[in-house]
This record gives sequence, structure tokens and C-alpha cells, in this order.
Amino acid sequence: MANVTGKAKAERTYDAIVVGSGITGGWAAKELSEKGLKVLVLERGPMVKHIEDYPTAQTAPWEIKHPRGKLPDAELKAHYPVQNRTGYALTEYTQHFFVRDDENPYTEDKPFDWIRGYQVGGRSLLWARQSYRHSDLDFEANARQGVGVDWPIRYADIAPWYDYVERFIGVSGQAEGLPQLPDGVFQPPMEMNCVEKAFKASTEKAFGRRVTIGRAAHLTAPTEEQLALGRGKCQHRNMCMRGCPFGAYFSSNSATLVAAERTGNLKIRPNAIVTTLILDEKAGKATGVKILDEATRQEEEFYAGVIFVCASALNSTWLLMNSTSRRFPNGFGNQSDQLGRNVMDHHLNVGALAEVPGYLDEYYSGRRPNGLYIPRFRNLGDAASARKDYIRGFGYQGGAGRLGWDREAPGFGAERKAQLSQPGPWLFRVGGFGEVLPNPENRVTLNRARTDKYGLPTLKMDAVIRENELAMRKDMQASAMEMAEAAGFRNVRGFDTGSPLGLGIHEMGTARMGRDPKTSVLNAHNQVWECRNVYVTDGAAMTSSSCVNPSLTYMALTARACAHAVEAKKRGEI
Amino acid sequence: MPQTRRDTLLTFGALWTALAVPAAAAAQATPALGWAPKALSADQARRLEVVVDLIMPATDTPGAREAGVAAFIDRNLADWADPLWRDTAVAGLDRLDADAKAAHGQPFLAISPAQQAALLRGYDEEAKTRRPHFFAILKDLTTVGYFSSEPGATKAARYDPVPGDYRGCVPLKEIGRVWAL
Repeated sequence: MANVTGKAKAERTYDAIVVGSGITGGWAAKELSEKGLKVLVLERGPMVKHIEDYPTAQTAPWEIKHPRGKLPDAELKAHYPVQNRTGYALTEYTQHFFVRDDENPYTEDKPFDWIRGYQVGGRSLLWARQSYRHSDLDFEANARQGVGVDWPIRYADIAPWYDYVERFIGVSGQAEGLPQLPDGVFQPPMEMNCVEKAFKASTEKAFGRRVTIGRAAHLTAPTEEQLALGRGKCQHRNMCMRGCPFGAYFSSNSATLVAAERTGNLKIRPNAIVTTLILDEKAGKATGVKILDEATRQEEEFYAGVIFVCASALNSTWLLMNSTSRRFPNGFGNQSDQLGRNVMDHHLNVGALAEVPGYLDEYYSGRRPNGLYIPRFRNLGDAASARKDYIRGFGYQGGAGRLGWDREAPGFGAERKAQLSQPGPWLFRVGGFGEVLPNPENRVTLNRARTDKYGLPTLKMDAVIRENELAMRKDMQASAMEMAEAAGFRNVRGFDTGSPLGLGIHEMGTARMGRDPKTSVLNAHNQVWECRNVYVTDGAAMTSSSCVNPSLTYMALTARACAHAVEAKKRGEI
Repeated sequence: MPQTRRDTLLTFGALWTALAVPAAAAAQATPALGWAPKALSADQARRLEVVVDLIMPATDTPGAREAGVAAFIDRNLADWADPLWRDTAVAGLDRLDADAKAAHGQPFLAISPAQQAALLRGYDEEAKTRRPHFFAILKDLTTVGYFSSEPGATKAARYDPVPGDYRGCVPLKEIGRVWAL
């Protein structure tokens, strides 16, 4: 666009710009606006207003068109070949919150499942809500083992921010006193069912492995602050991915953006694709961003003294890569050549399933949007838990339940109908979530040869799980099977259906934090080493992956970085 | 089942089959179609109405015909099913007539409910070794269509869109039926 000056420039100038409105962008918007900054949030997708833009939140099964809500094969093939790879998430109930793959291409040199939701709130509408803290076992691992680079922070640096985030978002869970999975600020835990309670007792007795209920970002005893935001108690509908009309699970839409809006300091601009960070090479600062209006395809500029890049790991990385200049010919802040490298996720699709004999007089009431969690029990630093065949560890998620009417039943007629009108047998399943090591050869690169419908370059993925993860998977399957067997379950079947990166939907690590600008992109406060008024606080910042679901850590890092930015601004450092 | 996001394998119902004797289903009298078929001819649709009610008959709860399952299947054959499935299902609805005529000299709708059920038992047996089989397709769509319908979900199963609390251990007799969701 033409040079903007004077009044026009003033109208386009804010104290802070936040790129993205998902789980970290929402937090940046809240924190910065509550500290008095005028904040512009730029979101590439359309507006999704809490409750009013959840069109299927109250849809009954008889109001959808297709069996089980499954979209027609032709539609899946044409528009959602990647998004459908989860096998469960994309349905008639949720399709409006997923991108169309044909309109958002990328290149898979190696299979990579990039599951995305482009809208205000991003994937905070779709996340699984599991919320766990990293421990010093995680923060110290790289340094101790000489893998990747050392985290520039330790648990003590982030612990108060975990407290702060948990208090606001609301996490239901059970304190367990485990050093590898620090306890947090919990609302009352959800209950286990009869079979899960028996499994817990058996597993703890036979193996000394703790079994706890998932720590999930659902309100079970809302605080005054949460009620005041219009949020309410979890109603156990388990229809979360449609958007919650009770505001009972945490999303940007239900919580952070509401809080930010109430400060009067927030402006959200949807349909604005941020394409470039504008660098003032002399000052060594970013002065703003260029956007492409999704509808008009017009380029525009916005200006601010602080920029938070919260576009999700790979899109934030894309933005840095696309922001080249004389100073940063290989991508913004990328002298280390680490930008786009060290792609991590969690590897999964491995575990065990089994039949549970008995308990036929037992059932449950309500649909718990949560399951069991078995915290990491390998390589905890003592001899008993040490493995020779791999480093790091994994946790399991899963649970027990009775089959419903949608099960195989022979014959037809009244007897079969009566049979299916009663619950089926109990089944048990656990699946592992394993840590993926940072490896510089696992990378995404900018592909200028292939552009999307806006003419923007796309990403190319070249990342796989390797020896350590593959060795870990054997243990993940065997340990799941032995627990199911010890519990007296029958027909125990191990499974390992392979784990392309991306499918965990925990992609991270492509602009890592570190202690040295020569080997990392971000410093201990999530600032780009070479341009300190740009903060990257989403999954891109992660130095290692731990084995726990990462969103809570992203949120804590974001809140911490916002406090730093406000102070640094006051001191005139940025 | 706990529907955490990677738990969809929990619906691996095919692993659990129990022996059961096919029901002696009572077919209903030939209905008049109250809806306009999209994928099927009127004759095929009438036969489908009888078939869905043989698969999910009215008992102490409504049957599949009353629940509108035939129209649900027709609509999904028209705009959802893959072509092989669709063609298999449609051809099967014609085969009903051919087999009824061969066995009893009359079209499917004219033979007795017991004769209709006997034909279906033959198909059900056949479907164990031959896939795709029209009867397996119709049985699946009828079951899903029925338990997703308002009468099926709320009367044959138990439907609670907003449970409120979650209770992990509840005697089955207190709930009474399978949960619709």
C-alpha cells in the first residue's frame, strides 16, 4: 500500500498487535489489554462470537443429515483429505470450524497431518482441554542429555504463571503429589466409573503406576471471576467441539477475548491474514505488520510498538519465514538457522484395548468430556524407572465405557432391537502420548514455488519420528497391555497404527527458546533475539516437547511474556 | 464411552459379536408412502419401508417405519452413500421382488410377513460372507437411522441432551436403557 502518514497512520497504530486469536492469541489479548495497552488482534479467519456462532451446539441427532454425522466421501475427498485424518473430529457437527484443505495447501515431503481451524478462537474451540504442567524433569532434560539446546527457563520461572492461568481458565483435576506432573490450582475432579476405579486399584497395586482422572479445562466449581465472564458449570454433554453454550470449557471465545473486550482496549479484525512483519532496520525494531484482507485481497498495514506472534506454531513460523529483509534474508530473526527446524509433536496411536468381563449391572450418567490419565512412569531419574532402550517418556489417556447401540449385533427384528436398546459390554482402552525429541533435520520450509489462492508461499513438511520414539512405542504398547491384563480384562489387544507427525495436533518447536542467539530463535522471555519487540509465544517457542498436552504451557508462557513486554516497554527497552 | 479425542477406537463394536437367534419379526401391512423418494422408485421405497420395520419393528417402542427411517435411508442413498453402496442397496431392493416371485409367485409386498422375514434371514446369512451385501447396508443404515431418530433416541434409547452432573457408577436399572448419545 502507499505510504501512510499523519492521521491515517495514527488510526492504524496501536500499542500492541497480536497475530492470531487462538489459545495464545486470546491470552496475549487479555493480558496486554488488561494492562492498559490498546490492542489489535488480527485473525485470518472469520468472526466466531461466543454462543451465537455455535450453529450446531444444540443440534439433536435427528436434525443432522447423514448417518453418524459423517460427511459424504466425495466432500471429504474434495475438501478435507487432511482434516479428516483424525477420523473423529470432522463431522457435520464441527465442519465449520475446520479449514478446507483444497484452499489451504501445503506439501508433505513426509506425511504430516496439519489439522487447522481458521477462525476467531482458532483451535481453542476444538482442543481436547487436557491441561498438564511440565516439570523440571522436562525443563532439564535437554541439557542433561545433550539433546537440542537447554531450555532458558526452569519450573520455578513458570510455576506462578501456571497458577495464574489455571485460576483463570479453570482446570478440574486431582492433586497427586507427583514430581514429574506438578499439581496445580484445581477445581473438583471428575469421577471415574466403576471399571476405571477397579483398573486404578489394580494398576497402582501391580505396577505402582499412578492412575488419575484427566486434568481438563472444564469448570466444575466456577469461581466468581468465571461466573462474571458469563461462564458456567460443565453440563457433561461432551459436545465441546461444537462450541459450548455454557462457556464451561475454556476457549478464547468464552473467556480471554471476553475479558479483553471488557477492558475497552481491544479491537479484533477478522479476515486479516498477516503476511509480513515490518522491520525498521536502523532501529532494529518491528514497527508493524502487513495484512491481506481475506475478502478484498487488499494489502493494509498496522503499526504497534509491541508485536505478539500467536498464529500457532507452524503459521507463526511461516510468518517469520515470509518476513525477509536485508537484515533477515533467511527469515525474521533467523541467524541461528533454527527457524522451521526441530518440529515436534506427540507420537500416539499406540496402546491397548480390551474387553472387560462383568459389571453388567453398572452404568453411568452423563457424558464425561474427559478420561483417565496415567502420568509418565519411565526414566524419572531413579534406577527403578530407567530404560536402556530410549530416553524420555510417555503418558496414557483412555478409559472404560460400555458399548452403545452402535455395535455389531447379529440377526434382525424385535429381539435385536431390545438387545441394542440396552448397553453393550464394557470396553477398556488406553493410548499413549510420547515425547518427540527435537531434531534439526525435522523441519518445515517455505515453499515459494507453490502458492495458495492468495498468491502466498506455502509450507513444506519434512519430519518423522525416529529411533528413540520408535523404541518408546514398543514399551508404550507392551506396558498398556500388561496393565489391562493385570486388571483381569480379556482379549487384550495391543495396537500401533503408526504416528505421522502432526496427528497429535501438538505441533511445536520451530522457533525455539534458548540461551544463545546462535542456536535459538527466542530468548527466555519469548522475544526474538534479534528484534526484541517481537514475541512468539505459541508452540513454536518450545525447546522440548515433554509428553504432556502442551496448551497450558503455551498459555503460561504467553502470560509471562506479556508481563515482561509491559515492563520492558515501561523501561524503554523495547 | 469417554470421548476424549483419540478415543474413537472405542467404537470398535465389530469385535464383539454375540450369538443370537434372529427374531421372528412381524412384517407390517403395505404402507402408503408419505414422502417423495429421491434415490429409489416408489416401489423400491415401499419395499424399503417394510424391510426397515422388519429390522427394527414396533414393539413397546416405535418401529423404524414410524421413525421415518426409510426416508432417511433414501436421502442418504441419494446424496451420501458411495456409488457401490448405493447401487448394491438399490439392486437389493429389486432382488427382494425377484426372490419373492421365484419362491412364492408373488411380489415381496404381497407375501406374508413370515415369508418376508424368512427371505431376510437368508440375506442376513449370505451377508456374513459376501460384502458389500445390500442387507448388511440396509441393516446398518436402519439401525443408525432409527437410534438417531427422535422416537428411537428418546423412546428405545434414553436421551439426555444436557445431563448436568456426571455420575460414574450408577446401577443400570436406574438408567433403564442404553444412552442415545
